[in-house]
Amino acid sequence: MNMTDAWLLPLLPAAAFVALTLLGPWLPRKGDWLAVGAIATVFVMVLLIAADFTDALAAHGEEFAGAANSTQWLEVPGQLELRLGVHVDATTIVMLTVVSFVALMVQVYSLGYMKGDSRYGWYYAVISLFVASMLALVLADNFLLLYFAWELVGVCSYLLIGHYNHLRSAAEAAKKAFITTRLGDVGLLIAIILLWRATGTFNIQEVIAAAEAGEVGREVLTASVVLLFLGAMGKSAQFPFHVWLPDAMEGPTPVSALIHAATMVVAGVYLVTRTLPLFQLVHGGPELILAVGLLTTFMSATMGLVMTDIKKVIAYSTINSLGLMFVALGVGAPAAAMLYLFTHAFFKALLFLGAGSVIHATERQDVSSLGGLWSKMPITCVTFAVGALSMAGLPILAGFWAKDEILVALLDNKAAFALAMATVPLTAMYMARVLILTFFGDPKEPESHEHAHEGSPFIFVPLVLLAVLTVFAGFVAFDQVGELMGFPGGIGEIIFLGHPHAFHFDWNVAIGSSALVLAGLAAGWFAWAARPSVPGVCLSMLRPVHALFANKYYLDDIYQAAIDRVVLSIARLVAWFDRNAVNDTGIDGGGYTAKFAGYLMKFQQTGKMPNYALGMVIGVVALTLVAFTLKG
Amino acid sequence: MQSGYILLATIAVPLFAAVALLFVPSRHKDAIRAFSVAVGFALFGLSLYAFFAYQLSQVEQYQFDMRWMWIENVGILGENGITLHLGIDGIGAAMLLLTGIVTFAGTLISAKIDYRNKDYFILLFLLVAGVFGVFASLDLFFWFFFYELAVLPMYLLIAVWGSSSVFSTFARTKEYSAMKLTMVLVGASVLIFIGIFAVFVEAGLGTFDLPTLYEVEFDENFQKIIFPLFMLGCGVLAGLWPFHTWSPDGHVAAPTAVSMLHAGVLMKLGAFGIIRLGMQLLPEGAEFWMPVLIILGTINVLYGAISAMAQTDFKYMVGYSSVSHMGYVLMGLATMNAVGVNGAVLQMFSHGVMTALMFAMVGSLYDQAHTRELAAFGGLVKRMPHFVAFFSIAGLASLGLPGFSGFVAEFNIFLGVFRTYPALGALGILGAAITAVYILRMMARAFFGPENDKWESLQDLSRVEYAGGAVLIAFIILMGVYPSPFVDRIADSVLRIPGIG
Amino acid sequence: MEPVAQQIPLEHFLALSAILFSLGVYGVLTRRNAVLILMSVELMLNAASINMVAFAAYASPEKFTGMIFAVFIITIAAAEVGLALAIILRIFRNLGTANVDEVDELKW
Repeated sequence: MNMTDAWLLPLLPAAAFVALTLLGPWLPRKGDWLAVGAIATVFVMVLLIAADFTDALAAHGEEFAGAANSTQWLEVPGQLELRLGVHVDATTIVMLTVVSFVALMVQVYSLGYMKGDSRYGWYYAVISLFVASMLALVLADNFLLLYFAWELVGVCSYLLIGHYNHLRSAAEAAKKAFITTRLGDVGLLIAIILLWRATGTFNIQEVIAAAEAGEVGREVLTASVVLLFLGAMGKSAQFPFHVWLPDAMEGPTPVSALIHAATMVVAGVYLVTRTLPLFQLVHGGPELILAVGLLTTFMSATMGLVMTDIKKVIAYSTINSLGLMFVALGVGAPAAAMLYLFTHAFFKALLFLGAGSVIHATERQDVSSLGGLWSKMPITCVTFAVGALSMAGLPILAGFWAKDEILVALLDNKAAFALAMATVPLTAMYMARVLILTFFGDPKEPESHEHAHEGSPFIFVPLVLLAVLTVFAGFVAFDQVGELMGFPGGIGEIIFLGHPHAFHFDWNVAIGSSALVLAGLAAGWFAWAARPSVPGVCLSMLRPVHALFANKYYLDDIYQAAIDRVVLSIARLVAWFDRNAVNDTGIDGGGYTAKFAGYLMKFQQTGKMPNYALGMVIGVVALTLVAFTLKG
Repeated sequence: MQSGYILLATIAVPLFAAVALLFVPSRHKDAIRAFSVAVGFALFGLSLYAFFAYQLSQVEQYQFDMRWMWIENVGILGENGITLHLGIDGIGAAMLLLTGIVTFAGTLISAKIDYRNKDYFILLFLLVAGVFGVFASLDLFFWFFFYELAVLPMYLLIAVWGSSSVFSTFARTKEYSAMKLTMVLVGASVLIFIGIFAVFVEAGLGTFDLPTLYEVEFDENFQKIIFPLFMLGCGVLAGLWPFHTWSPDGHVAAPTAVSMLHAGVLMKLGAFGIIRLGMQLLPEGAEFWMPVLIILGTINVLYGAISAMAQTDFKYMVGYSSVSHMGYVLMGLATMNAVGVNGAVLQMFSHGVMTALMFAMVGSLYDQAHTRELAAFGGLVKRMPHFVAFFSIAGLASLGLPGFSGFVAEFNIFLGVFRTYPALGALGILGAAITAVYILRMMARAFFGPENDKWESLQDLSRVEYAGGAVLIAFIILMGVYPSPFVDRIADSVLRIPGIG
Repeated sequence: MEPVAQQIPLEHFLALSAILFSLGVYGVLTRRNAVLILMSVELMLNAASINMVAFAAYASPEKFTGMIFAVFIITIAAAEVGLALAIILRIFRNLGTANVDEVDELKW
């Protein structure tokens, strides 16, 4: 399997989608085996492509930029050529591995989780389409295909969030997610076209090369970069576009794991990673990313602290992580961001799937009605704990290495470092909270606790696999591990985007952050396990702050009001204007004018014959005179 | 085989079908239905054949050329005075195919019509003959003749088979809508008529033959004076702001298949006229006036989309979305560069198919529920999964989702507009986002959420609706995934339009 | 020897016809009785006939086009009188008057 064959990857799940959509009801088991088979094949192919890539890397050395392959899609001769093409390089390999592996895990998990769902076949069809689009997105060598796939993952996300479409809340959440990201996409599309206008190409490498050669004007480049970032912010749920992600938890939990944790939401990070050179050319570009990332990280951590829905807590932790990745990009450490992305995919998918296991067993997802599940669901409890601690950043778990890498990269920027450090204990605290409230303490609803039990192997095997990876995935950062796995120069070479040995380890930072994590975990344990009265006391003291966090900084309300009061009012005004001014006055006015003219004119019809005769005579005489005058 | 008789057949078949129907007793309703659908299918086949038999990269600009002399060398008429001259370029080929598709789908959907269906189909076929005639004519006289033939049956179709609506703040009778539509369009065609005669006289060749007139280089001032006549005259039919209000009201009042043909094909006649008469005859005039057109087009896009957002009625929403989407066509034409005009023609095709699908679906719902109030519905997906799937595809295509035809077209238009007017291009993209808002709001409100018990009796799509919708969807996806067959034909012809850079 | 008609200059015929025609116009415009208007119309028709015959005699004496026209006019005038009198009769029966000022139904 060659790297240039990578275009086959998206086609397999796409074919599965077509087959399931058209033939779904007539296939045995509604065709789930087709979808799972397709993604399993893709995973194997990805491994083969990765092997081919490492061989090429060994053969060509560090300057190996990757392989590309493209085909013409549409052409206006001499004016425009649109191509669809794939490009395989280190970043792509990382993304491909993440996407195909998590997708495989989630699809296997769904065999158990979604069993008996009334739209089981459709679920697998859309998941397949999503995987196809996501693979196309990471493989794209040009902005056009990227945008194409970008929108398709968006619509898959829309369809899957609204999977339980009999619920009003699911329908609204799906709509909100699509529209919010779509607003960001307006920016992305404008940016793509502006860059094309300046450089004449959609190819990402070529655009970057042209921009670095100074072919793009400063204003245009600045505008494009800001607009591009808008797209990334929408997709990756960055402040102020983050509002859709917590609501997106209305979808089935495996979907949250795949789309809203591991893959689609990191598309923004991936896009910025790809186009980072453009940002660095613009004055203030990296700072913009850094500021948005920091703000998002901090705000989501505070909101995560007060949410009571287990999935929403994890959703805010995802926003938290995404912010952190942008922080890394903002300080020019794409390697750290990619490492975080890589490890985050495993532990966040694990967290969601664990939460799914709990929901599946208890049919509850509010932590205030859970508790004490460790005895009933030991596997879920252990694996979930591994994920939560990894998210918190406890040493030797995957999340620790990645988070520390980012913190190290931040060292030069004191303020940013301080703010990032401040969120560390917050993160640890709310992860401890959700862990404790769900699995420990006394069950709050004994009935549902009574019936809780571990799910089928389809459910717990992916959990275990992901937990194992969550423990070990961080070690790939070390060259020795990579070489042991057969990657020349260490696997770090792949993760680090051709900057091998870029892994920094700083004992001071590591000890400091670990201390903060432990402090956060201890605080969480103290507040929610040891002294359950503490949260109530704090709540009574900090009621306004709690209200601010619990109401998501009132952003959702502000947006809703803006849409209802402002946008819809304008729309109604325009519609009123159209009906009354343009139509009834303007267009009908023309008709009424003609009618009124006719009314005025009718009075010259006296009905008296001599008047008509006189008119005729005058007319004839006048015409005769005119004729003579003209002739003479 | 490239015979002009193919084009003649697209005009003659519906005409003869109309005449043949005159002799069928009106009590044989099923026979009339079957016959009409068969004619629709034949037209679909003919147009499909014409589209694929159209040869790429030929020397001749117009293929399937044929000419029947009507009057020449009499009075003011000289050589080739008035001839039935038929022929298509790539743009015409695409439009012909569009007409074939929508006609077929429309006759399928019209099988539901029961009241005086013979008369209905006679008028429908007259209209279709006119539409095919406009797209295939290369003679100004016949172009105008067919243009009027396409517009006038609309009056009766709406006034007899249409529906009146009463809303809380206003009411629209079908007679009012039909009258407004006819009056506005006929009024606009007067401008075209004046323009045609001005061109005829100015050229002084005594011929209405378009290819001959294309060779004439008209005086620049003459072009500047005459072009707005074509721009406004044809633009009104394309829904040009502020003369667009006939269109939503007309759509709402018209029966389903007529709305489909009306929004799907008839509005394209206007845009086609701007290309054929305006840009090809008077390139310098076009260049002078295009900045005006692009501003009006941008207003169309935003104004239509914002109005659509406030509508409470399914059909009005779709009607205003047509106004908005035709704005993209006008924007694309006004760029005067190959990419933009190419995008405009693609959008004509794409919007035609997509909006026809939307109207077909609205019609299906209205026929059962007898209301189109958006707020009255909810959770339709449970009872009508195919309906929701089809409508959603149309909706997603209209908000420019990649993989559907709308994206290919709008993307080309945006590229073209950005070349010349980046600010307006950005507004156009914003319009696409507003489209997403109203489409998704409509879907969330009416299709999803808890089921409304009131609508327990609703049935999913009938077999004819399913078939008609499937044909339309096939082309929406074909063009979205593999646009080359369309672009190759269209771009080739667009590049031959004078003044296109 | 020129024909008798040509011994009188054409202008005389034209003057006669013009006077006759003007009398007819005057009558049509000023009379109120429908029958009198009809008679005035006859005057105008006769004026036209005189013109026809006179021009024919001067312009192309060998053809009889003008005379044929005059005969046509006489025929048509007869038919017209028949029709018009019938209408006037009906109007008189229905409205009780032949005064055209009072017959003004022919309007909006």
